Amino acid sequence: MVEREVAQRLFAKEFNDSKFNIHPKPDEVNHDGGHAPNFIVSPLGSKINRLFAAGVVTEIDNIGTEHDLWRARVVDPSGAFIVYAGQYQPEAAIFLSTMEVPAYVSVVGKARIYEPEDGSVFVSIRPEDINVIDADIRDRWIVDAAELTLDRIDAFSMALASGLSGSELFEHLVQNNIPNGLVEGIVLALDYYHTDADYLQKLKDTVLDCVKSIGSGSGDENAVPDEDLILELMNEMDTGKGIDYAELIIIAKSRGMAENVIVAAVRKLLAKGMCYEPKIGILKVVS
Amino acid sequence: MNNKLAPHIEELTKALESISTNIDESQIQEELEKLLDFRVPLDEAKRTIIRKYKSASMPVMKIRNITAGLKGFEVTGRIIDVTEKSVNLRGKDTIIFSGTLADEDGACSFTAWSNYSLKIGDVIRIKNAYSRSWHNRSEVNFGERSHVEKLPDDVLPSIDELTKTPVKKLRDVANTDLSVSSVTVILEFSHRNINVKGEEVTIVEGVLADETAKLPFTSWVPLDGLDIGSTIRFEKASVRMFRGVPSLNLNDNTTINAVDASTEELPFTFESANMVPESVPISEIMEKDGMFDVIALGNIISIRPGSGIITRCPDCNRVIQKNTCRVHGTVEGVKDMRIKAILDDGTGAISVMLNRELSEIAYGRSMVEAENIIQKAMSQDAVFEDMRQVLTGKYLAVRGNTSSTEFGVMLVSKSAWMPDNNINERVNALMKRLGNNKEEEADNG
Repeated sequence: MVEREVAQRLFAKEFNDSKFNIHPKPDEVNHDGGHAPNFIVSPLGSKINRLFAAGVVTEIDNIGTEHDLWRARVVDPSGAFIVYAGQYQPEAAIFLSTMEVPAYVSVVGKARIYEPEDGSVFVSIRPEDINVIDADIRDRWIVDAAELTLDRIDAFSMALASGLSGSELFEHLVQNNIPNGLVEGIVLALDYYHTDADYLQKLKDTVLDCVKSIGSGSGDENAVPDEDLILELMNEMDTGKGIDYAELIIIAKSRGMAENVIVAAVRKLLAKGMCYEPKIGILKVVS
Repeated sequence: MNNKLAPHIEELTKALESISTNIDESQIQEELEKLLDFRVPLDEAKRTIIRKYKSASMPVMKIRNITAGLKGFEVTGRIIDVTEKSVNLRGKDTIIFSGTLADEDGACSFTAWSNYSLKIGDVIRIKNAYSRSWHNRSEVNFGERSHVEKLPDDVLPSIDELTKTPVKKLRDVANTDLSVSSVTVILEFSHRNINVKGEEVTIVEGVLADETAKLPFTSWVPLDGLDIGSTIRFEKASVRMFRGVPSLNLNDNTTINAVDASTEELPFTFESANMVPESVPISEIMEKDGMFDVIALGNIISIRPGSGIITRCPDCNRVIQKNTCRVHGTVEGVKDMRIKAILDDGTGAISVMLNRELSEIAYGRSMVEAENIIQKAMSQDAVFEDMRQVLTGKYLAVRGNTSSTEFGVMLVSKSAWMPDNNINERVNALMKRLGNNKEEEADNG
């Protein structure tokens, strides 16, 4: 039985910090007779063959010369995933070539690594499926990725605390019910990156920032309803050509909101990437 | 030539002696010569022979850990029963021996492809055994290349001890149980007529549950006076495997007694046993050969080809193309809609099947609307493409039974829904986790 590679959930920061690639040797086949897959091992020990990411597409460029090659930046609260779609990903290429930025998307794809001679390393996603999503799914993805990243940080802390390495560490983690795939990843990552407590703390801070970006659940509770009201109003007003900012303020005022509250709410929406300003004075909601 | 080969044969015999004592030098010579006749290089030929007789490592297995498709392991067990069978093997009549082998915590069937004069009650150690799937269970096989050795009788408990039916909670019933006893409540109960060797028989099918799990059951004896909600104590129900899930068979050997739940104290009630299960991480589902009544929750990361509007044979329900069934010839196909999706939660991935009704819920369009899409687009693929656009990336929760197939683990859904968004709760839990961790570190530092 050939098992499908799981789509890892991780923030762009952890992904972009990854530079350790494991190629299976050509004659190496796994016990089922299938070919062993390629992996990128992250500093936290994720073994990434496939990943699932959600975020805002902020830039799309066609960088191909002979053939189209679309490069997109998919931004999460910690950084950007780079997605390349060329002639062998026709559906994703068509999707990117026709979409408007910014918009929320989800991407499923294979992790790719590019190592030019000079020692630098670039990771990217080769998309299998890419689709438009709503802000709700994006928020949930952040929560999923945060939970799973914290699980990895906890497992890694355990590994560091044990002071073990190699097969002894492997045994130790398996006995503590860490999933096999992650245990392999941690042993490899420790050996390659020498990931230390500082790095774990840094990623923990990243996770905290990402979770905070969701907005709810942390103080500041008055602001949320205002933004929601404005967003709702913008959706009502938008007939496809965008919303006149001045008009928005007049209508929102007529509904009993103070001007400074309206301006603050719009600024927040802009900052969060929920809406954007295609032209000065015109707003558009990210759908 | 023989002289030249002699040192190599000696080398091979030596290398193989350590694992199997019944290796015969002339046999090795014969095989080596045969390979050389095919002009296989000598080193390669030696490697082939060593591989044939020896697996790289020979793990010692307990019966309950044996899964189908293992090669070259060692297992010890007592023979519970054994029968001689004559089979036609590649045109040759061969006598094989099959029966049941048990150790302290499991039992399985076995097939011996050579005569080891096995007798009921023998304790044997088999080296270089292999396993395969037989009647949805794993079966130990051994033959020419295996080494069988009789052990002293006191290595394992007696037959009576080994075949005693254990009292188990349903969660612990496994494919190495031949029979079990337990106390359970009946959650589902229905009669069905089936044809057994030309005779019409009424059987009872349903679901039993306790506080740990639910399992399907089949009763070959009438269960008069029992119905949904009845609590029963049964002894010696035989255990069958179906799609990786144990199924309890109540038959003439089973004693079944109604339990008065109002007087006897039980760790479950009908209500508590019948509760909607908690969702399970997909990694956990993938570890099992099959699970009964589970909920999985994740992102739809791919809609597979074969989803959308399909045509089925009216007689056998097979999916057909161009109104031609491979069994029933040209037929008037029946339209149906389904979704095959990959559900992934970051811990694992399973394929999920949704029937027409559940597809309509997940997709948000009825089959009639979907057929209109096809007509408008004049393309059979239009619905598949539309489903991909609507569903890829979305969250979905499904409830049903899982089984492990050669294409991975599959869940056939009995219900499907868009799961609740309990984001605030989870964000708060995360904040706590992040905050608490920090405090701990501060304490440590």
